[in-house]
Amino acid sequence: MDLVDLITEKRFIGQEFLTWLWWKSEERGGSVELEGQGDIVVVFEKHMLLEYGEADYNERLVCSGLQTELKEARTGLRTGKKLEQARLQIIKDEMEYNLTLGATSFEFRNVKLPKTEGADASADSADAEMEGAVLERIYLFEELVKIVNDLLLMFVEARTSETWSEELARIRTWVHKSADNV
Amino acid sequence: MSFLAGSASFVRFSIEGELPENPLDFISDRIKSFVFEDIDDNFEEYSIGWVSVLSMFDSAFDYGTHLYGDYVVLSLRVDERKVSPSILKKFTQKEEERIKKEKQVPKLSRTIKLEIKERIRTELTRKAMPVPAVYDLVWSLSESSLYFFSTNKKAHMLLEDFFKDCFGLLLMLQIPYTTAVQLLSDDDRQARLEQITPEIFV
Repeated sequence: MDLVDLITEKRFIGQEFLTWLWWKSEERGGSVELEGQGDIVVVFEKHMLLEYGEADYNERLVCSGLQTELKEARTGLRTGKKLEQARLQIIKDEMEYNLTLGATSFEFRNVKLPKTEGADASADSADAEMEGAVLERIYLFEELVKIVNDLLLMFVEARTSETWSEELARIRTWVHKSADNV
Repeated sequence: MSFLAGSASFVRFSIEGELPENPLDFISDRIKSFVFEDIDDNFEEYSIGWVSVLSMFDSAFDYGTHLYGDYVVLSLRVDERKVSPSILKKFTQKEEERIKKEKQVPKLSRTIKLEIKERIRTELTRKAMPVPAVYDLVWSLSESSLYFFSTNKKAHMLLEDFFKDCFGLLLMLQIPYTTAVQLLSDDDRQARLEQITPEIFV
């Protein structure tokens, strides 16, 4: 299948993943357990884009605000919308990342990497120092992608498992409760 | 948007195709053949090529390598002379008026109008300063994957074409579905993922 067709046909997987992740993060107050790696922090914040329908029937809803409870977004979920883009804070092993994740093209936007002590100032030369800085940035980007991939794997394993209907029922309960509390 | 500093935006590609023996030599040679060539001092309309990630002016890689450990780190630089449609329209009309007066005719034929427009476009393009765009990328040789630091779809297409011309390798954008298929080790799960249809979460 052509990639453009594949993106269109399978875009719901990314949108379901982000929506599932929002539920998963709120289920335990912002904590998500990665198999074999312990708890990480996943918080949905500030900015969210929800979508419903395809092509001419596509509806979009943008919600943003620093202290927002994302009320409109929660109501949007109840009208069948799913997340297309969300601003996330992810903390693993005291490393804090902030990013906006796009569901359709799997875009990592405006990624803020964890603060580190910087490149090794004791390096023998400016070249070695630069090489250290470049490799550190690559390591941090790769770690972020690894965390997001681990979360995606958790989702698709749940989504293709025999017990998906039970998990779906819990998500639906959350969608309704979440909108009722608005 | 840059890889090296501040906040960054990126997408990921998987790389399809085989590198020849001595891949590092091959990559270095290909980069050298496809470096960016400056068009500031000539009248070329368009130039695309590799520069060092450390400086958009370093296409000889004098100040830094493209190889960092197991990664190829490069910037794709694209310079283009552009003329805005409103400027082209204005100068085309001006020239049409001048010719009408000179020839003392009330109207110009369609062919002449097209010729004028094309001539003016060439003249204005020559005068326009090349507008640069620089996109960073990190190519993981062990993973056969590539981080591209732009979310611009047009830039993705430029990269895909240029990468293929340069290295003979194909880039495939990694979307959640294709990433998930790679992550699932179980064939049954992969088959089930292929079959699933959108779920209603309400």
